[in-house]
Amino acid sequence: MFSNSVLVALILVLLTSSFLLILQRNTGKLIWNAKSGSKNRQPTLIIAGPCGSGKTCLYNLMTTGKLKTTVTSQETSIADNFKLSQSVQVRLMAFPGHLKLRSKLLDEIKDSINIKGLVFVIDATVDPKQLTKTAEFLFHILQLTERRKDGVDILLACNKSEMFTARPPLKIREVLEQEIEKIIIRKQKSLETVTHSNKNHELEQEDTVDFETGNNFSFNILEGNVDAFEGSVLKKDIDKWECWMRERAVN
Amino acid sequence: MLEQFAIFTPQGEILYQFNCLGRKFAETQINRFVSQYISSRTSIGASYKKYSVLDVSGAADGAGLKSSRSFCCMFHISKQPELFYVVTYAEQSLELNDEAAEVLKLGVTLWDSLQLNDGIVRNLSGRGHRNEHNYVEVTEGLEETIAKFDTYLRAKYEAYARRSEASKPVLETESVENNPKKKSSELKSKKKSSSGGQQGRKWGRDGMMDEIGHSDPTKLDFSEASSASSSNVALVDKESFGKRTVEGEFLIREIDDLLVSQRDRVKSTAQASNTNAAFSFLKKHILGNKTISEEDLKSVLDKLQQKLISKNVAPEVARHLSQQVSKDLIGSKTANWTSVENTARESLIKALTQILTPGVSVDLLHEIQKRTSQKDSEGKKHPYVFSIVGVNGVGKSTNLSKLAFWLLQNNFNVLIVACDTFRSGAVEQLRVHVENLAQLTDESHVRGSRNRRGKSGNDHVELFEAGYGGSDLVAKIAKQAIKYAKDQNFDVVLMDTAGRRHNDPTLMSPLKSFAEQANPDKIIMVGEALVGTDSVQQAKNFNNAFGKVRNLDFFIVSKCDTVGEMLGTMVNMVYATGIPILFVGVGQTYTDLRTLSVKWAVDTLMS
Repeated sequence: MFSNSVLVALILVLLTSSFLLILQRNTGKLIWNAKSGSKNRQPTLIIAGPCGSGKTCLYNLMTTGKLKTTVTSQETSIADNFKLSQSVQVRLMAFPGHLKLRSKLLDEIKDSINIKGLVFVIDATVDPKQLTKTAEFLFHILQLTERRKDGVDILLACNKSEMFTARPPLKIREVLEQEIEKIIIRKQKSLETVTHSNKNHELEQEDTVDFETGNNFSFNILEGNVDAFEGSVLKKDIDKWECWMRERAVN
Repeated sequence: MLEQFAIFTPQGEILYQFNCLGRKFAETQINRFVSQYISSRTSIGASYKKYSVLDVSGAADGAGLKSSRSFCCMFHISKQPELFYVVTYAEQSLELNDEAAEVLKLGVTLWDSLQLNDGIVRNLSGRGHRNEHNYVEVTEGLEETIAKFDTYLRAKYEAYARRSEASKPVLETESVENNPKKKSSELKSKKKSSSGGQQGRKWGRDGMMDEIGHSDPTKLDFSEASSASSSNVALVDKESFGKRTVEGEFLIREIDDLLVSQRDRVKSTAQASNTNAAFSFLKKHILGNKTISEEDLKSVLDKLQQKLISKNVAPEVARHLSQQVSKDLIGSKTANWTSVENTARESLIKALTQILTPGVSVDLLHEIQKRTSQKDSEGKKHPYVFSIVGVNGVGKSTNLSKLAFWLLQNNFNVLIVACDTFRSGAVEQLRVHVENLAQLTDESHVRGSRNRRGKSGNDHVELFEAGYGGSDLVAKIAKQAIKYAKDQNFDVVLMDTAGRRHNDPTLMSPLKSFAEQANPDKIIMVGEALVGTDSVQQAKNFNNAFGKVRNLDFFIVSKCDTVGEMLGTMVNMVYATGIPILFVGVGQTYTDLRTLSVKWAVDTLMS
């Protein structure tokens, strides 16, 4: 009697463990939901933008209140449980702007569930004619953020306003809209990207949002709000941006 | 002469900066280094005394950066925590390389011996003091130690500079004798200047070396005295001289002690014990949350490496990738319920994505539009010139025609130039393509007919030919064709070149003069997906064939439909050169040209 129950227990243990092992071998994941474990559920504020716009400086100023010399980043700076104000805690992330490292940002946008807002830092002194690359970057971000139900609110943080040549934020916003319009048209004309010949075809399609052409592109038609404020990290004049971030983080 | 020395985190924060020339520290120079490092991480081959060396070319990055002087960097990357130690100098030479390696070694060991790393690791892991924003600064509580590091490094650097300077004169005995005194007199002034709360001040090595002996500290002291508003310059000088000699010697000994103790510490590092072996199996395969060691990874990486090689990735490249993965993973923890194997896979996907992601964005339509909208003084526009190179039989002409078809669909006028003057039938082959393209753009086009300029093709697409001949003819045709295109208002010029074996210098050398004469806007190399391991060498040789000032601009990988999942060639070519793949050819017809999707390529390679 006693030996019987031990035997049954042993067999049960063996069966379950072998089942789990086989499962793990086959699917790679023990629990199907496991992947979402790597997802970021915290309320997140993202700092992004092209190289040399002042992302790391802004990050440093926000986290430490100091200005430091920085060089081009290669890794994401992350401040977990960052106290934006006394009561509000968020995860603050500053992503490198280099083209080759952009996938980090795009992956994060895909994986984070709770993005409170995205601060897109722009060097306001750049000639509006040179903003094509910046617009392209923003366009890539929008393709991902607009997939979400309510989109993601974006702040165009026009940095370096202390400089003589800085453009007003509204002008930059307008130029970016025009450039994105052109990009959409070009995207339709350019060659298709390679895809898997048969399976997963539909999945691939859903990956990014295609914007309609024809009517002029405007940030107003997006799900997420797009605001543009000027500021200067060097002069520690970032009140408007911080205010914007606090507003988003509270909601 | 060394220029700058910097220590910074990959997050972009500079922990320590030192301009050897006493000027203001210029972070733009470091920025250029980082940018070059990111885009050509894989193709850094040069190294000197275990430190990597990277040449940053001047013209490569003109956008927005004012100084485009080329310079050289020697750097070291420490692992725990990840820090970059970079020394920059004007150009590679035996002497400068030696000096840079010496300074770099000094910097790294000093940094280690002051145990700054432990502090940084502590701060990065969030165990340090938190400020009102609940954030731990990287340098929290380390400012003083860094200041100390600054003092030591400057002292040592001056000593080294002085020594290397002194060893130059022929009279060696004298210099050896004088050396210790000079050195120490040099030092204490250094020490004094920094310990006196004047860290911000930078003492150039230049001014110092021009002066000899006693006048040296006098000069230094003068600046100090003036700030202290002291009138008795001579007296202060003498007094501090005697005192500082002692301090200087003391300082040197202190540094040397530190360096020795550091060496001992490294030797006596204890081996970690494997106590919980029973659990580690479960953790490794099922539970996750395991700290990954080198042994765990070894078998997994071997498997992944084998898989990559079976997909046509060159062994050299596969090895690099698995090194990348082990660098990424060793010491890190696996996520819950994830095996080591899966973690390694994820990491490999990341590494592959990073290799294949282009470092520059290429929007051809935009660039062509921009170019053709600019008119010169005579109201003519300069055409946008492509030239296409590659090994024999990879599909240069075919891909050129596909490219032409796409451009024609976008309403550009295209001139196709037959620069292959060697192979018989090459020109005729292009003519057939032009006829096809003309028919596709304009159905009323009659094959074999001449357009209003008396050439093959129609108003939108035309063939420029000048028969067959030697290699000098090629450059001539190219120049003529560009002039013709300008006169006849063409938007785009596509030049087909002869196929050539990449390891034959006599065939490759004309490419350089061709690139100089024709000066194409984009040089495209076509590589076939079939080729396998040799693709590394092909890409390298073609990239180098255009001389130092010109590189390939991008690749077209042809015949991707013939290899199925074996796309390793793509990785090889990008790995070897750091140049992006823009298009892939996936079939026989004119429409079978696609832009590369990195995700697609990585998925295919990993499936």
